[in-house]
Parts: sequence; C-alpha cells; structure tokens
Amino acid sequence: MMHDETSAGDILMGDVVRLEDVLSRDSVTSVSKSFFSLFGLPVRVISHEGDLLADVHRDQPLCSYLNTLADGAHRCAATVSTVRDLEPNGEPIVHPCFTGAVYRVVPLVYQGRPIGRFLVGPYVPSEANGPPASLTSVEGAVDPNTARGHYDRMPRVREEIAEQLCDHLKGVIELLVFSGHRAQLASTMQVASVRENYRELAEKNEALKDSYEELKQLDKLKSTFLATVSHELRTPLTSIIGYTEMLESGAAGALNGGQTEFLQTIRGKADELLGLISSLLDLGRLEAKDLELHHEAVDARALLSAIGSTIVPAVNRRNITLDIQVAEGTPKVWGDAVRLRQILLNLADNAVKFTAEGGTVTLSAREGELELGGPSGLGAALFASARPAVVLTVRDTGIGIEESKLARVFDAFYQVDGGTTRAHGGAGLGLSIVKQLVDGHEGTIEVASTLGQGTLFTVALPAADDDA
Amino acid sequence: MQVDFAAKELTVKLVYYGPALSGKTSNLRAIHWLGTSSTCGELMTLETQNDRTLFFDMLPISIASRSGLKIRLKLFTVPGQVMHDATRRLVLQAADGVAFIADSQRSEADANRESFLNLKKNLEENGIDPERIPIIIQFNKRDLDDVRTDEELAAIAKQSRETIYKAVATRGYGVMQTLTGLIRETWTKLDEEHGLEEKFGISPLRFMNEIESQLKHDARRAER
Repeated sequence: MMHDETSAGDILMGDVVRLEDVLSRDSVTSVSKSFFSLFGLPVRVISHEGDLLADVHRDQPLCSYLNTLADGAHRCAATVSTVRDLEPNGEPIVHPCFTGAVYRVVPLVYQGRPIGRFLVGPYVPSEANGPPASLTSVEGAVDPNTARGHYDRMPRVREEIAEQLCDHLKGVIELLVFSGHRAQLASTMQVASVRENYRELAEKNEALKDSYEELKQLDKLKSTFLATVSHELRTPLTSIIGYTEMLESGAAGALNGGQTEFLQTIRGKADELLGLISSLLDLGRLEAKDLELHHEAVDARALLSAIGSTIVPAVNRRNITLDIQVAEGTPKVWGDAVRLRQILLNLADNAVKFTAEGGTVTLSAREGELELGGPSGLGAALFASARPAVVLTVRDTGIGIEESKLARVFDAFYQVDGGTTRAHGGAGLGLSIVKQLVDGHEGTIEVASTLGQGTLFTVALPAADDDA
Repeated sequence: MQVDFAAKELTVKLVYYGPALSGKTSNLRAIHWLGTSSTCGELMTLETQNDRTLFFDMLPISIASRSGLKIRLKLFTVPGQVMHDATRRLVLQAADGVAFIADSQRSEADANRESFLNLKKNLEENGIDPERIPIIIQFNKRDLDDVRTDEELAAIAKQSRETIYKAVATRGYGVMQTLTGLIRETWTKLDEEHGLEEKFGISPLRFMNEIESQLKHDARRAER
C-alpha cells in the first residue's frame, strides 16, 4: 500500500511531523540562552517550515550603528534575510556579512530527514585581519573610527572552536528532539492503545449482548413449547380419565373385582400424569408471565386447615405428627386462593414426602413484614419500604438439604438428589412453580435446612388491608 | 511503505514480532551496536521499569544508494506480553515485512505457535494478507540448553515456506543475516508490487549489494 506523506502515515512510521511538535520552545530557548551566556554567540533555531523557535541575541553596537544609515540598514536586512533562508544540505554553511562578521548555519537532522536548522552569529572569526573594505563602503558617511571601534567589540571566536561549539549545540538540540519525540510517541501510543482496547471491548460487549438476546429468545421458545405440548397432552388425557370413570361407574356393564382394580390403577396413574402436565402448563405460563391471579383476602387459618385435611391421609399412613399453629392477630393474605393453596400444598406434600415415619410436620402462620426492593445499608431509607405481611412456614423433621444445593432448589427440573425422583416421585417442578407463584404475589420465599434434621420453608406474602 | 518522489526518499517499515522474551529488543540492540553511526540512528525504547517493552522499540536506519535514492528503514519491535495485543496491532499497521523471532528452547514451542497465530490474526485485522507479506523466522537463543538441534531446524527449514535464520541476539550472532534476509525479501516484494526498479532505476540485486556492503563489515564483527 502506497501512502502519501500524511501525518497519520508519519505517526505509523514513527516519524516527526513538525519540529514544533517534539521540541518545546522553552527548553530550546533555555539551551540557547546558556550557550549565549557561556560563549557570547547569538543563536536562532528555525524549523524546516521556517518558524522561529528560539531567538537569543543582543543587538551588536556595530549593527545598531549601521542600521542608523539607510544603506547600512538595507544591506543588514538583506544579509539577515539571506541567512535565515539558507538551508544547508548535510554540511553547515558559513555565510559572510559585509561587516566582516560571519553567520554559521547548521542543519538539524533527525532519522535521516532535515527537520530544521540553527544560526550562530554574527561573530568575527579570530583569524580575520581587521574589518573588510565593504564595511566602510556603506553609503552615507560611515565614520571609519567608530565602525572600527564597534567592530573590535564584536564577539570573537576561532573558526575551529566555532565548529566544535556548533557540533555540540547540534547534538544537544537533536537529543532534545529525540526525547521530545519519544514522549510524543509514548503518549500517542497510549491514547491509541486505549482507543483500540475500547473498540475491542465494545465489539465483544456487542457480541455478548447478541448472544444474550438469542438465549432469551430460545428461553421464550422453550416456554411456549412447554405450554403447547402440555395443552396438547391434556386433551386426550382428559378423555382417558373420563372413559375410565365411565367404565368404573358401570356405564358399559358390570365389572368384576380384577377389572375394577385395574381401572383404579389406570385412574390413579392418569391423575398423576394430569398433575404433572398441569404443573408443566403452569410453569410455561408463569415463565411467559401470563398467569392471571385473582386477588382476594384469604384467611390464613382456613387455608392451613384445608391443607391439613388434604394431607391427613398421607400423614396418618406414615405415622407423622401434623401440627398447625396460627398466631393470634394473623392478618388475611392478599392473594389468589387457588394459587395460595397450590403453594402451600406443594410445600406440605414435600415435607411429608421427605419426613421419615414418626417425624413431625408443622404448618404455621403469623404476622410479619415484607422488605420491598432496594439493598439494605446505604440509602435504605430511600429504597426499602416495609409492608405488612403474613409469614407462612412449613417445617419438617426430614432428611434435609445440603447447604451447597440450597441455592438451586427453586430451579426448574432440579432435584437435590437424582435418586429422590425414583424414591419419592416428582419431576422437580414443584418448588420452581412455588417460587414463581410467590414472585407473582410479590412475596418472598426462603429455605433453611440442616442435613438429617429437617427443612424450613418460609413464605412471606402481602397482608390484605384491614378493610378488605 | 512511504514514497516521497520529490525527495527521492523511500521509507520501509519492518516489524520484529514474536512471543514475550524471545529477543526482539535484543535483535534491535545488536543491530544498533553493530551498525555504523552514519547508517543507524538512535535506538528508541519505550519500556517499563523492568525492561519489558511497553509500546515498542524503534531503530531508524538510513541508507543512501549510489543511484541517489534515499532509503529509510524503520525497525520496530512489538511488546510480546499477551496483554498488549492492542498495541501489537497498532505497531503492525502498514508493515512491509515481518521478522518473527522464535525462542529455540523446546519449552517455548507453544508460546512460539501462539504468537505466530496472533501475528496472522493481527495482520488480517490490519487488512494485510499474511500470505503475501514477507515473513522470515529467526530461531533465537541458540546458545541455551535444551533447544531444538541444528538438524531439527534444518529439517524444519526444508518444509518451511518462510526462510529460517539462527541467532544468538544477545551476542549479535545472526542478527545481521536475519535483517539483510528480511530486507531482501521485502525489497523483492515491493519491487514486484510497485515497480521500484522502473521508478528509481535500482535493481533488487544492486540494491542488496549496496545494503550488504554497508552491513557486511559489521556482521563480521559479531561473528568474531
């Protein structure tokens, strides 16, 4: 790829674009000042573009005197202008002035390219034998004695020394350019690297966002699929159950004992399947956030009693003690009666399922508070608002849950121990549905457990207003 | 490559790439030490306190051809540490040729491979076709123990598309051969693409003779 000489290209190549960019006027002026004060030689530093970057000199009496004469001023200006425009190519140029003084023009080169020059002078070479005739040939009555007097007071230096001094100054200025360039490249690279890193990160973020959106879409698709499939499964199952019931009731003729027993088994298993499918449908709807809740004030005592009577057969079969405790002044729950029953029945069923014979299952209700939104600590006053709540708990003395697995018990299809599915049944959907239902009621659910001693589920749900 | 027809000046960018601590900076230091001051400029290093390259090192080399053409070679190193990928990509912009400095130690084989893949990726991201840019490979640190043997390298070289060089950069051995090899391949490529011989009247052969005559004496100094 061919590049034109653009600044961007120069930076890519690590070149100095302009002397001014890398050489600070202050530092080159202070170097020139110290050169002037040490050797009495005036210094001017000029960039390749012709800008004056440093100018350290004192008007020489000879020059001031000649400038009072029209011809002298004219010749002086011509000399200065010629000297300033001289561009030495490689080697320094020594340019004479009509006064017998000289200027030395030294090129500044950096990385093989001319970047500017500096002028040293006017000074009189010590080798000179007095002023040249051109000094007194200025038109307008030059006083030879005055001119000679001023000439003798010009700075003097041997050409050999002048050359060495200029070499030294050249080295110093080129070193300043080098450091300035180094600093410039470092800062340019710093900014460019940050920008490049930012660009890269922004691209990655964009890609992450895309894949997140994709996953969300997939998740939605999964929920829709779940709902559709459940619905399609339920329709034929309802027919199976219906016809089984009809057979059982003798609608198609009397049955013998064996047939009745088989039909009961079919009914039982079909009901189990229907329960599972309903759970899937619920989960699908809950995840799609289109489950409608019909809020009303629900009495906690009545709720727990109803749950109690539902699980009594299982409790009695396993010789488990069922304890129901409702504290005085427990307010009513603001929620959907059917769904509240589903929440508690699920938890109570689990409690019974995982409690060994002779254990205890306790259902309780009391008044409490719900912390809504916001973190505790800083600014809690602004974020948190406590709301009256009903706290419902289900405690068992069962096998308990390992601490490391507690965090996942509310995930769909998660089973604390894969083996429990076979031992206790269930698809691992119950707690996931419970969690979603509690969330739907703007409540909270927590679980605490000690392995081998039992588990406690605490559900806090908004209390109904007194007048509800 | 930058071309300034008015000044008859040509600037070529050569980049030393490779895994961390493979000796990229050492190569430039050796070239700077071996090169004559009229040819080599100051070596600029932008490094951290513990001598690890932060942004890059740069060594300018100026060669005045007898044809009047001025050639400026800009030698850059990239920072080898993995975290400086963005900087590597920036330094690689507009590169005309790449010297890949590999570490000969067997234990570094993976690092070499990873860095080479990174080079390919960064070339592509800069719009440079890795198949077309001149790349040469230097196996550095030949003086260490447990390195790939010369026989192994000879076998590798037979199969390799890139020319293989051997070096001990800290002692200057092999660095000039690597550099002249890289210049030769880069110049040949640029000549093919831009017709340098036609434009500047300098043939690749004559150009390389001039370059080598300026670097030859110094190369001998390293081998002694």
